[in-house]
This record gives sequence, structure tokens and C-alpha cells, in this order.
Amino acid sequence: MSLGRFLVRRIVHSIFVLLGLSIVIFVIARVMPGDPARMALGARAPQWVVDRVREQMHLNEPLTVQYVYWLRGALRADFGLSLVTQRPVTADIQEFFPASLELVLLAGLFSAVGGIGLGVLSARYKDTWIDNVVRVISYAGIVTPSFIFAILFVLLFGFVLKWFPVIGRLSEHTVAPPTVTGMVTVDALLAGRLDAFADALRHMVLPALALAMGSIAQEARITRSSMADNLGKDYIAAARALGISERVVMGRFLLKPSLIPTVSILGLDIAATLGVAFLVELIFNWPGLARYGMTSMLHKDLNAISAVILVLGVAFVTVNILVDIIVAYLDPRIRLRAARSE
Amino acid sequence: MKKWFALAVLILVTSTMFAACAPSPAPSPTAAPVAAPTQAAAPTEVAAPTQAPAPTEAVAPTQAPPAKRVLRVTFSWPNRIDPAVGNDYASSTSLANLYDTLVFPNAQGTVDPWLAESWDVSHDGLTWTFHLRKDVKFHDGSPLKASDVVFSFNRLKEIGEGYAYLVTPDVESVTALDDHTVQFKLNKATALFLPSLVRLYVASEAIVKANTKAEGPYGANGDYGKEWLQTHDAGSGPYMVKEFPLEQYLLMTKFTDWWGTFHPNAPDEVRFIGTTEAVTVRTLMENKELEISDQWQSFEAYQALQKIEGVKIAALPSLSSFYYMVNNKKPPLDDVHCRKAISYAFDYDAAVALEWPGTKQMVGPVPATLAGHNPNVHVYKRDLDAAKAELAQCKYAADIANYPIEVHWVAEVPDEEKWALLFQSNLADIGMKVEVVKVPWLSMVENTSKLETSPSIATIYVSSDLPEAGLMLKQRYHSSTTGTWQQVEWLQDPDLDAAIEDALATIDEQERFAKYAKIQEDLVERAVSVWIYDQVEKHAYRDCVDWPAARGETSVVMGYQIFAAGIGVTCP
Repeated sequence: MSLGRFLVRRIVHSIFVLLGLSIVIFVIARVMPGDPARMALGARAPQWVVDRVREQMHLNEPLTVQYVYWLRGALRADFGLSLVTQRPVTADIQEFFPASLELVLLAGLFSAVGGIGLGVLSARYKDTWIDNVVRVISYAGIVTPSFIFAILFVLLFGFVLKWFPVIGRLSEHTVAPPTVTGMVTVDALLAGRLDAFADALRHMVLPALALAMGSIAQEARITRSSMADNLGKDYIAAARALGISERVVMGRFLLKPSLIPTVSILGLDIAATLGVAFLVELIFNWPGLARYGMTSMLHKDLNAISAVILVLGVAFVTVNILVDIIVAYLDPRIRLRAARSE
Repeated sequence: MKKWFALAVLILVTSTMFAACAPSPAPSPTAAPVAAPTQAAAPTEVAAPTQAPAPTEAVAPTQAPPAKRVLRVTFSWPNRIDPAVGNDYASSTSLANLYDTLVFPNAQGTVDPWLAESWDVSHDGLTWTFHLRKDVKFHDGSPLKASDVVFSFNRLKEIGEGYAYLVTPDVESVTALDDHTVQFKLNKATALFLPSLVRLYVASEAIVKANTKAEGPYGANGDYGKEWLQTHDAGSGPYMVKEFPLEQYLLMTKFTDWWGTFHPNAPDEVRFIGTTEAVTVRTLMENKELEISDQWQSFEAYQALQKIEGVKIAALPSLSSFYYMVNNKKPPLDDVHCRKAISYAFDYDAAVALEWPGTKQMVGPVPATLAGHNPNVHVYKRDLDAAKAELAQCKYAADIANYPIEVHWVAEVPDEEKWALLFQSNLADIGMKVEVVKVPWLSMVENTSKLETSPSIATIYVSSDLPEAGLMLKQRYHSSTTGTWQQVEWLQDPDLDAAIEDALATIDEQERFAKYAKIQEDLVERAVSVWIYDQVEKHAYRDCVDWPAARGETSVVMGYQIFAAGIGVTCP
């Protein structure tokens, strides 16, 4: 199967997955207790205002009709108005998604560098004290929720050491670069504003690290385990017997095939982080999509909830496809298998 | 190729590390120092217009004035700054700073002239004529006219959100008699009309219309400027919107052409930050990046904040009280003797001791801060003998064990569990069984909407919108609020409704307050609720902030505690 056909097949599958997801989330959001219109307007708003909002949102129609309205809008990227922000949900997502994406990409970078680095270190010094220390750190990282790391980092690096800012995306005195992508670091670079870039990066370090800690721990364990498995294989023994340096054996022959499970998990972690980052975003006052989604859920903002879940679903599916492509690149057998099946 | 990739990663990681280790850049040296805050024309005309700030109370700065005075305050988000939409704490505070109103609430619980220099009221109390100041400008420099008041009222009424429920129901029409005279005609005389005008934020008709989308739910008025006003302002208040990245902060800058008088050290910029996370607030306060905290911190968090050098805790009186709403229709609490038994069994002193110092037990059914509060009603205290005597008279006394009382507390307010458990323990002393149930707020709202699903007791904080006892009596005990979380008592008593309505329609203050007092006595006698304590609004603030509210010099109406024009900031 060619890469093109593979991609088309995955995309078609993904459309059905997203359609299913939209139905599930549409129904779940609407069976939660409370009238969204009443909740948005407050207990003291007159009933006629509540009725008007219900009518605008088609809440008086049967669920199936409501879904058709919603789907029709969604296909035009029109998710209706948010009851919380009173703006089009699409505008909200355009504002909040880049903030999350920027943070998650840096967290992904931390995860990749930190996780793979620690994993290699652990495998290289397997069953020594270094391996044991990394193991303990990894277990601690896996079992500790990201918001605990966020609180610890704020206390340590913000409160005690005062190295990092603890809220927002830029310092009060930094003029924001013109918005192009919505990602402040990228926009700062596009505007040639290195001061804003450095400031934005400083603001991202703690939240990104807090988000990455669990992933770093997990990638370290998986990389170590995968490398340890491959270490005992014949081709490694052959490489060593041929006198190839240990650095080349580790880096070229051992690491690359060992990264396949790591990359698979890393991709899923990055996509999942987009959705589960709300507590970290809350602690760092980060205007991200997860926080927006959580606020929407607390206020039963139906349009926003459905849109956020759909965006997260699309992100998840996209990352999965990318992971498959990267894995195919890393593992020649997959490519060969694909070629033979043509 | 791989080497280049590795190099790129290396550069990115290295730059991250450099950025991480770099010290925080100093504030821009180009920021112009504000030597003397701009003062708009001092109010000199008739009717002794109220001065929002107390300019003479300024604390003499002990250090060189900062380049730019900044006031930063944390709030619970979201913040809705459309004057026809917002009505929660953050929104009300923002609106008070961005917009002017016809009258301004004072510390005495009444109102002072503001945009309106004076007013006349007809003998029947149905026609109110307001005479406006002539020196008021909107933030775009255009003059404020009576037609803007009419537009703002009509917009609020048509949108129907925000404070519309408070301002518009009794008003039949609003007319601009000339550029500086506006007349309100009411359907019925009501004591709430004048104080309710502190919620009619006056917006510029021209600015709003220039930013209105043609398509929208309001017919010819399109979207009535709603989308634009979510992140911009059209007001004439002492501050104007500079930036409003939703979900992050609202940054306001001083409007130097404001007609009123600023505190000599009033902030040049005011930043409302959308976070209440304890660890974040504490770090910001420690790092001197926050001047006033929000009011939503836990008891322990305030204790920690108090330990930071230069930080004090202000306990402001509020219009809010903590109620145990007793379902008067559900056995065994449909019997007044059982209700009195629980009222005598509860240990109020222990309950108050769980709160911040300065908190007081409620005296009667409304907060003591409200005008018209009756301080002479009977106050229930823990008295086990009296409780047992009342229980003995209750028709359910013989098999009281078969009537467990469900106490629902709000899951989002974890502190409420302490009082619920105290209540459970106290009632066990007289043989009454209590089941404590943690309920998410959404479920609480849903449950209390129907009599069948309402619990025996719901523990809820309720705040009055205006400092008037009659309004709280209406919110809490009038039949119009049954089926909402504001009244779980389900009184549905026509006589009580009539008494409340009659009192509210009484324009003469003394007569009205006497009627309020009688209603409060009646409710206490019937023990319709368990009245726990009047809430104090706690804020941590830095001692370089001269904050009149902390000295009890401002109104307790929500939103006016942080009226930045009256606050002095001399923080380094």
C-alpha cells in the first residue's frame, strides 16, 4: 500500500471517528443537569430572555434536529455563539488554540529530549545506580499529576527562587508582537522581536515542563525498555564484533529502531496534553483551549463544549496519522511491507 | 540533514535554557513618569456631588513615586464588561470603573449624586426627573447627553440580561427632555428604583452604534454592539479598556478627561487578572506583582498571605450571608417546633469561629449591612434545653429517628462541609439524624427547582443586589423566587408576599423600614431558615495601597469596593 493510499484510508476512517465523537459529545453535553440558557443568564434573568436564548440555540427542538443544526454549522466552521464569552465559538478557538498548541509543542519537545535522553542514559548504564536513579525519577513522574508539578514549580521557581514568571504569556512591560499565528513565540520571531520571543519563552518554560513531566518519565521507561530488548539482539553483537564504536552502535544501530514505541506514545501524549492541560493552564493563567473547554463545561456552554471536543478529536487523529508516518520512516520493515503489498 | 536537524534542536534547547536563566527584563525606561495625576474638573456645582474617592485620605508616599502606578487585582473569571450583560463580581467591578451611573452608592447604604447633579420626584413617586452634569465626556471625547441615558436604558431592557431584572421592571418609559434632563416614568412606586440606578451604566449611543453588527437577535438593532462591547468599552468612567485578552486579564488605563476627582495617587493602569489559584496568588503577592487579592481564597491561604511582609488582610462587610435554607414543606421541618428545635440546637459560636476573625452571626433574615435591617429580632443561640422542649412539641417527636434531615452542601465550596458536619453533630445531641450530602452546584440548582427534589436543607450563600433589606426579603422569601436556588424554604405565603410588596412600594423611608422590621420579626418567629453568619469579604492587600474600602469608607454594593479612582497606590 502506498503512503498516499494509506493516508486516504486513515483520513476516511478519521471522518467516521470524528462523526461518532461529535454525536457522543453532543448527547452527553445535553444530558448534563441544568438549562444552559438559564445558567448563562443567571437565576434572576427574566424568563422571556431565557426563552429567547433557548430559541436562538434551538434548544426547544428535538435532539436530532438540534444535531442537524449543529452539524450544518460545524461543516461551515460555524459553531454558534459561546454563552460564556458571547462571541462566536470559532473566534474563541482561533484565539485559544494557538496558545495551547504553542505550549504543548514545547512540552512535546521537553518530553522528546528529556524522555529519550534519560531512556538512553538508563539503557546505556543498565542495572547500575544511574539506571536505578532514572527509574525512581520515572516512577515519580508517572504517578504525579501535572498540576502537582505545576504547583511545585510555581513555589520553587516562582515563589522561592523567583527565576520565572508564573502567569500569562508575556510580561506586563513587553509589547505583544502583531498577531499572525496566535503563537506568541512564532509571531515574535516573524516580527523580528527577539526580546518578545525570549520573554514569551520564559513564560512557557514552567507550564510546558509541568505538562511534560509525566510524558518524560513515560518515554524514558519505554526507550530504556526498548533499547534493553534490542541490546541483546544479534545485529548489535555483530556490530560490536566488527569493532564499530560504542557511540555509533548506540546512536545509529540501537537507538533508531528502539524509538518506534517511544514515538508512538509520545504522539499520543502530545495530543492528550492538549485536552488535559486545564489545571496547568489555570494555575499559570494561560489562555489555552483546555481551560476554555473546562470553563465551558462548568457553565454548560453547549456550543463551546462540542467545538472544543471536536477540535481535540481532530488534533488527536492528526497526530496519530503523523506518528504512523514517522514510525514508517523509522522502521524500514514497515516500508518494505508496504511496498511488497503493492 | 540529520546533523542540521540536531543542530536546530540544540539551538532551540540552548535558547530555551538561556531564556530561562535570564533575569526578568527591567520595565521599559521610556514609560513616562506621572508626576501629578490628572485631575478633571472638581465637582463644584449644586447638590454637593459625591466624590467617589476621599482625596484627603491619601497616604503620604514614603518612597520615590514609581514610574507608573499600577493596581493589580485577581478575580474569578469570566469577566463580562458589556453593561447590559455583566452582573457578577468581576463584571460589576469592571463596569463601575469603566462607566458612570446617574447616582453613586455611598457607605451609608444610600446614594449620592453622580452623573445626575440633582433630581425631582413627583408626589406619587411615579415620575423621576434627573438633571445631568454638563462636563461629562465619553472616552472618545464626545459629550454625554440625556439621549445616551435613554439609549443605555433601552438597550439594557431589550437585551434583558445583566442587571436588567433590577433596573427595568418597574420603568414604563425613559425620555430625554433636553440634552441634560432625563425623565423616568414608573409603573408603580418603588423604593428600589433610585438605588437600582447604580446598575444603569451609561454608554455612548454613538460609539455603540458605530460598532454594531447588522445581523443579530435584536431586529433593527442587529447585535446591539454586544460582540464589540465584550472586549471594548463605550463609557465615561475614570478608566478605559486598553487590552482585554479574554481568559487572561483586563487592562484599563486612566481616562484623564474624567469629570470626577482622582485620588492623588490613583493608579495609571488597572489590571484585573483572571486567576484565583492560591499558589499563583501567593507567588504574585510575594513577588510584589499583585496589590489586592480576590476574595475567594481559603482560610489557610489568607493566613499564608498574611505572613508575607507588607501584606495585610482586609475583612470588608458585604451584602451576603450564609443561610441554611430549610424546606418548610418537607417533614419533619414543616413543623415550626422542629424548625425551632434545630435553630436552638445549632452551635452558632462554633460556626462563626470557623470563619475569619470579624465574622458575626446573622441577626435575623437579612445581612446587617442592609438599610432597613432589624437589629432587635430574637437571635437563636445554642440552647439544648430549649431545643429539646421545642422538639417535644413537634408532631414528629415520637418517631423523629424516622425523619432524617438531608443537608446538601455545595461541592464547589469545600469549606461548607465543616458547617454541615458541625450541624450533624449538634443535632445528634437532641436525637435528630442528619445526612450530609455533597452536591455539585449544577445539581443543587436542578434539585431546588422542584419541591419534590428539594432537600430538607440546602446550605447556600446569598447576596443582595442592593443595600436594601426589602430586596433581600423579596429575593429570599417572596413566592416569585420559589423554584430557584435563592429560596429552598418554599414558603409560598400570599400574606408574606403582600407584606413585602407593600413595604417595597412605600416611598417614605421610616415607614418602609418599620414594615421591613415587622416582616423580619415574623420570619424569625416562624424560624423559616437557620441564619448562620454575615459574610465578610476578605482580601489580601499590600500596605502601599491606600484602600478606602479596607477602612469601611465605601459602599458595600458589589463592584464598588475596588473603585480604582479612589484608591491610592504608592508601591515601589
